[in-house]
Amino acid sequence: MDNILDYSLADFQFNDNPDVLAPPEDFETWINDQRISYCFSFFEQQLLRAPRSSTEILSNLDGQKRKVINLTSYNYLGLSSHPEVIQAAHEALDRYGLGASGAPLLSGTFDVHVAFAKKLAEFKQKEDCLLFSNGLAGNMGAMQGILRKGDVLILDEKCHKSLVDGGTLSGAKMLFFEHNNVDSLVMMLEKSRGKRVLVAVEGVYSMDGDLVKLPEVVAACERYRAAIYIDEAHSTLMFGPNGRGVAEHFGLEDKMGVTFGTFSKSFGGVGGFICSNARLIRYLKCYSSPYHFSCAPSPVLVAGLMKALEVATRDSSLRDKLWENVRYMKRRLLDLKLDLAGTESQVIPIIIGSSGEKLFQMATQLQQRGLFLQPVDFPAVPAHARRFRISVSSQLTKEEMNEACNIIEDVVVAGLKK
Amino acid sequence: MDKEQIYAVIKKHLLENVEDLQEADIDPQKSMKDYGANSLDIIEVVSCAMRELNIKIPRSELAEIKTIDELTNKFVANSSVES
Repeated sequence: MDNILDYSLADFQFNDNPDVLAPPEDFETWINDQRISYCFSFFEQQLLRAPRSSTEILSNLDGQKRKVINLTSYNYLGLSSHPEVIQAAHEALDRYGLGASGAPLLSGTFDVHVAFAKKLAEFKQKEDCLLFSNGLAGNMGAMQGILRKGDVLILDEKCHKSLVDGGTLSGAKMLFFEHNNVDSLVMMLEKSRGKRVLVAVEGVYSMDGDLVKLPEVVAACERYRAAIYIDEAHSTLMFGPNGRGVAEHFGLEDKMGVTFGTFSKSFGGVGGFICSNARLIRYLKCYSSPYHFSCAPSPVLVAGLMKALEVATRDSSLRDKLWENVRYMKRRLLDLKLDLAGTESQVIPIIIGSSGEKLFQMATQLQQRGLFLQPVDFPAVPAHARRFRISVSSQLTKEEMNEACNIIEDVVVAGLKK
Repeated sequence: MDKEQIYAVIKKHLLENVEDLQEADIDPQKSMKDYGANSLDIIEVVSCAMRELNIKIPRSELAEIKTIDELTNKFVANSSVES
């Protein structure tokens, strides 16, 4: 393997090593190369404190503890460390202990699970709600529980891996339409006539930060009588007049057959949920494996999440602050003439281009300057559009944003000119 | 291995992975997507064909390829280098 830097994680999925417990031989050669190991050193760097807008990491670059401005964590509304959320979790820990100690159908359903699911269903204006211990498993479990062999799942090509894996698990035929291209969606709907069809889209697409063109998607799906599943992982609690998500933002909540949300982003915890009609939720309780066969989410976590929902929705102050910060960051970054890939949300990519080498050089310098901004490489994003991805938080102060933009100017803007 | 043989290997895996596709319908100037292959099907076709042909090309180099013919040419170029 002489062109080692041209390879990526996209190249080692297939494994024909005769030893089933060993990775592909060329994967070992690749990942042990010093240059590739260096890129991997950006992964799994340890946070030593809460994922606030300023935090501390143990850097894998030099093994040193480093205070950093954090533009990477998904803690969009700062709820993971909100004092009221922490207090609610403390109280639940004293009352319930650490875990649920059972699957939901047997002994894992506590009063807090029922109360929280009810509040979420009301919040999303659906009849019922299903909680999952893990967000990825929520999407997977919904697809696996809803779809069967002979059905068709039509996905935007930029949909999350959890939806794709769920589709694979379900046995449904999967068709991908070009990102946000409704003509392409219509072609797929046309091919699927006569089948049970579910169309999956995301409120905010996680790598580009753009929104689904929901009015057009709804019009097309109504024409073909296809149901819509919307993943609002990066939009719940932030978009819409009441924070209910991108479907509320477009005034189309009643057109969504199923709405999914995660607890690991704006909620500041971990897990996922879907809201839909009560008949479907009751059915999925029996047939969605990640719900049926996993331990229920910890009641400590659920109590914290329920408080997070209350804090985020009792007024608009947190999301107002978030959007104020988003506007400020975007303006500063656009003034620097950076390519932000048409973002419309709190996810702001900075496109670097095709050079992985340049991306990781910049990533090193950013961290050495005290900015925790992780690189995103191919195959997570196209090879010609490697990038940094900023997650704006309501916690960021003007001083932190100014300092972050100064560092980006010194490192990224200067690096792109070289 | 010549272009004809390489094309035959790609075609074989395309037929194995795409439902309702007939050999006579395949036009190498078209994309696999035109025949209903999704991105997972394409990964499967390309990976199986590369394995059978004993060639290895980084995915990053394949990302811009549009048609079956372009893929065949890429394989031909790498096949001659390898052998």
